[in-house]
Amino acid sequence: MRVKDASRIAAAALLCLALLGAGRAQAADKIRVGVLKPNVVTVIYWIAVKTGAFEKNGIEVEEKPFPSGQSVAGVEQLLRGNLDVYMGAGGEAVRANSQSIVAGKPAPIAVIQGTDIGGTSILMRPEFEGKTLDQLKDQPLKIGISSPSSIHLINFRGYLAERHLTTEQMKWQLVSLEGGNMVPALLSKQLDGFMHDALTATLAVNAKAGFVFMNSHRGDMGDKAKTLPNTLISASRAFLKAHPDTAKRFVQALLDASKSYETEPKAKTAEIMADWTHSDPAVLASLQDRFDARVLLTRQSADAWWEFNGATLKARGEIDDKVRFDDIFDLSYASPGK
Amino acid sequence: MSLYGESAIVRDPAAAKPAEQSYSDYARAKQRRLRLRRIIRGGIGIFAILVLWELMSRWFDIELILPRPLSVLRNVVTTLLVQNRPWLYGPNIYVHLANSIARAMTGFLLAAAIAIPLGLLLGRVTSLREYILPIIRALYPVPGIAWIPIAILWFGLSDQAVVFVVFTTALFPLLFNTEAGARQINPVILNAGRCFGASGPSLFFRVVLPATVPFIITGLRISLGTAWRMIVAGEMLASQDGIGYLLMQSRFQFRAVDLMTAMILISIVGYLTERLIVDTIEKRTTEKWEVQSG
Repeated sequence: MRVKDASRIAAAALLCLALLGAGRAQAADKIRVGVLKPNVVTVIYWIAVKTGAFEKNGIEVEEKPFPSGQSVAGVEQLLRGNLDVYMGAGGEAVRANSQSIVAGKPAPIAVIQGTDIGGTSILMRPEFEGKTLDQLKDQPLKIGISSPSSIHLINFRGYLAERHLTTEQMKWQLVSLEGGNMVPALLSKQLDGFMHDALTATLAVNAKAGFVFMNSHRGDMGDKAKTLPNTLISASRAFLKAHPDTAKRFVQALLDASKSYETEPKAKTAEIMADWTHSDPAVLASLQDRFDARVLLTRQSADAWWEFNGATLKARGEIDDKVRFDDIFDLSYASPGK
Repeated sequence: MSLYGESAIVRDPAAAKPAEQSYSDYARAKQRRLRLRRIIRGGIGIFAILVLWELMSRWFDIELILPRPLSVLRNVVTTLLVQNRPWLYGPNIYVHLANSIARAMTGFLLAAAIAIPLGLLLGRVTSLREYILPIIRALYPVPGIAWIPIAILWFGLSDQAVVFVVFTTALFPLLFNTEAGARQINPVILNAGRCFGASGPSLFFRVVLPATVPFIITGLRISLGTAWRMIVAGEMLASQDGIGYLLMQSRFQFRAVDLMTAMILISIVGYLTERLIVDTIEKRTTEKWEVQSG
């Protein structure tokens, strides 16, 4: 009896230890990811899910979606500790870090990767075709933006800064509205143009609501803007410190997904993109000329982002002068495989 | 001779005057005491909230989410003095406030211009009430925020869209209050009015309207508060200036101190407009018609 009891106790203890161990391993591998959804700019996340890249890298993802134009909400959740990683922030993570530094605290967020390279498009109504920015800048045009903190607006301001111009000097009125409403607003002439991502631009072109006036991917905003990631992947520094290996494997999964995006036939990636964005696969196939879904943050592109956008944010007073490159970026996770 | 001591007043009017005088002095002193008590209690309440806020911001130590009350109050002052740097919200604070006030007041006054006469009519004309009230009751549960997409669709991204949303939300409380007030007038009062020869417009202006005033005042108070709540929501979504826009912008800029400043300014302006508009109307009407407001 005693031997039987002892073996039972030992077995139970072993089981408990095993469960405890498994629980710990699972907790370490689980990442709470905030992601703009449905939104083409974060499609690399869905490609990683669909191609099994997260599983392959031993990552279990808990997805927390945020609607387009609410990028700020994701960063707020990152700050509150309700997320480990957030895909979607452009300027918001930088602004949050700046405010923390101004308050005498360390930066709570680090940008660890970036996607949606050169994805800013400015669409204009057809009657403006053939006009240049110099011809349009003094016209009282209503231009749609997804939010006042829109990364596309930051990029545009960065481009203007290189030409010694500001949005305040132009006569354009910037109108905030959700990305999904931009094409109808352009068609109904409530807007003269908008700044948004490749998908909205493609939808507008396909609907003949407008034409691509400027696109950073094709170099209309200068060479620097061509390589800039529009969607930054940010992580809580507390999470990075506690789980550096998990963070590296998460980024590796996104890099693997980027490889799949490069190598898989366009039709297949278009299908995944259509599934993620709830859009027509034909539209998705046609946008790939002005869109790059890969994660591609290098030291060079991060420097370019900082010079191009960081300087504009500082000049406008949106971030403090004390904020440095290292307060924003942590590139030790950017290419863990190398 | 009087059973109630009036004879004494009649007999000695000179003695009655000091008695009246001392009573009015007593009443005034009591009023002053009550006002002082209200101010002290209100002050203690506000002070307690500020202390609690200070303690919480010290305890959690997250300037990003909960700035200290002193920083917010300092920011309110610098904002009002137009010395806030950097200022990331376009025109100065007074332009934002003026635009918000203009939109809120337009929507509110439009609502009042329709709700008061319509409410009086619905309250007094049974057949009209039976036709129209079901429609109004069906529309009433639609939340103000739900009117925003349709307002944008109908009026575009313009001031009209925000004014329309304010109008739709300010309309119902005032309409229901006025209708209830007009419907519940004591028939004895109406009959008394008729006995004194009032009929038609004279009955309306001398009996129906004064009897409904307390309800209208309550409706105005609720509607104005609703108008301020909706102006902020409307400007957040469909406007490029105004206090709601400023509030939204400061959130996008991660400036909780500016966000709280905007909230305090909304509270101050809302309070002042209520004092200026509703209290003035209340004073004028209740004094004129000698009715008591709820």
